[in-house]
Amino acid sequence: MSERVSVPIEMVQSWRYSSGDSMERFSNGIRHKRIEAVKCGNCQRRYLPPRPVCGNCHLSLTEWVPVSDVGTLEAWTVVYLPFLDGRTGELRDGPYGMGLIRLDGSDTTLNHFLNQNDPAKLAVGMRMRIVWRDELHGAMDDILHFEEVS
Amino acid sequence: MRPVAIIGTGQTNHARCRDDVSQPELVREAASRALDDAGLQPADVDAVILSNMELFEGRALPELWVGEGAFANGKPCMKIATGGTSGTSSCIAGFHQAASGLFDIVLVVGFEKHSEGHTQTGMALTDPFWDRAVASGALGNFALSISQYMAERGVSEEQAARVAVKSRRNAARNPHAHLSDANATIEDVLNSRLLAYPIHLMDMCPQSDGAAAIVVASGDKARKLSAKPAWVKAAATRHEQPYIGDIEQRLLTMRTLRDASRSAYATAGITEPLKQLDLAEIYEPVTYAELAWYEILGFCAEGEAGHLIEAGVTGIDGELPVNPSGGVLSANPVGATGVIRVAEAAAQILGRAGAHQIEGAKTALATGYGVYAWADAVILGSAV
Repeated sequence: MSERVSVPIEMVQSWRYSSGDSMERFSNGIRHKRIEAVKCGNCQRRYLPPRPVCGNCHLSLTEWVPVSDVGTLEAWTVVYLPFLDGRTGELRDGPYGMGLIRLDGSDTTLNHFLNQNDPAKLAVGMRMRIVWRDELHGAMDDILHFEEVS
Repeated sequence: MRPVAIIGTGQTNHARCRDDVSQPELVREAASRALDDAGLQPADVDAVILSNMELFEGRALPELWVGEGAFANGKPCMKIATGGTSGTSSCIAGFHQAASGLFDIVLVVGFEKHSEGHTQTGMALTDPFWDRAVASGALGNFALSISQYMAERGVSEEQAARVAVKSRRNAARNPHAHLSDANATIEDVLNSRLLAYPIHLMDMCPQSDGAAAIVVASGDKARKLSAKPAWVKAAATRHEQPYIGDIEQRLLTMRTLRDASRSAYATAGITEPLKQLDLAEIYEPVTYAELAWYEILGFCAEGEAGHLIEAGVTGIDGELPVNPSGGVLSANPVGATGVIRVAEAAAQILGRAGAHQIEGAKTALATGYGVYAWADAVILGSAV
């Protein structure tokens, strides 16, 4: 039997996304280490990421509330499998810690890296703090990772 | 709404790499087998519904490329997209089309060829403003949720490993399965490579090449064409908020699956699922999810899932066999995976499930899971 034929394709592509008003205000805030959530006047839920409408109540979200850079680790893992970075297309090597952190002042959680990648040293309920990058440019990767509050 | 039934199913032989066929050929393989199973010809099909996650293959308009393979030329044909739930949602759309009176025979086909592209790319392209920088795919999302489930309910790694053992052993009876091992052990699972704590390689579903199809018929047609149709007793679907951090009770205690299953149970008159269901084909992408979803689906009380698997209640000879086919852990061509759940449940009612047939199966549940934002529940029965 003849050899199977396949076509290899490699390409480099680029995308550009618009933020919308809510994420624009949030992004401009974190450039100054200021985190703000939007609060629903009906269900009182404080949302991160901020968005124009409460999906549960279908009401416009116009009230902004301050959020702390300290919160509680609600869920965590250590990823060992190298995973593709959706910004660069490059592989991100493991092991790295990841968590869902509920920042004080928000009712939703934020997923981000942890500076800890030893499962024995991570637990639900730990208090964590944002570690900011030195150079801030108004994007979520201005947060380098979270570290335990000592 | 008219009653509707499934009168035929077809699956490819799922594998890591099906480089012996193109995408349309893979689709034709499953579609042909489903029509053969139903005793129909391509001309008998009134409408076609397709399911596929094209970002995984990087092929635009797959519905255009493969529609012909599903006998869609000159007929209504569309693709349904709800993440991993696409397959079950496509089946439900097919039920609706036949129930509405628009069409008598609807062919639903799902497919995926993970080997042709980049599954991680498809999973990494999340919200560029919020979590793109940290996204770690289904694996990362599940691992996060599992930490919470373990902390809340005390489920152990060994109990989760038992799900994988059950899956691999059941799959040894299923000629379509991608992964099977009649001699799989708990040690095999716990000794397999750690992907993301606490998920080992054997805890996680594979990436498969494969396709699956069902033939949906209106009640009148079903009675004429099939001696033992698999009647659609109920079908429900639910959508959720966009971010994992939005969801109060995360993946493993999903309100989508809870609400979809409760709605389907109410329609089908099911009050004691463990007793009234003869089997379930649930979309379990990871072992821990199967345990958590025993609780969500009402097979046991909260915190009892570990005991349920240990007692063999969900084994192929147990009170409620869960995934006698081997489930998603044994074959996962994503666009087809939900169709496989429904096809397997239907094959059990039709009495054509082969070596993994549950004797006398009369009522079956199939579920779908999509990212953390969708869930579907379908109940099939031997009577209208």
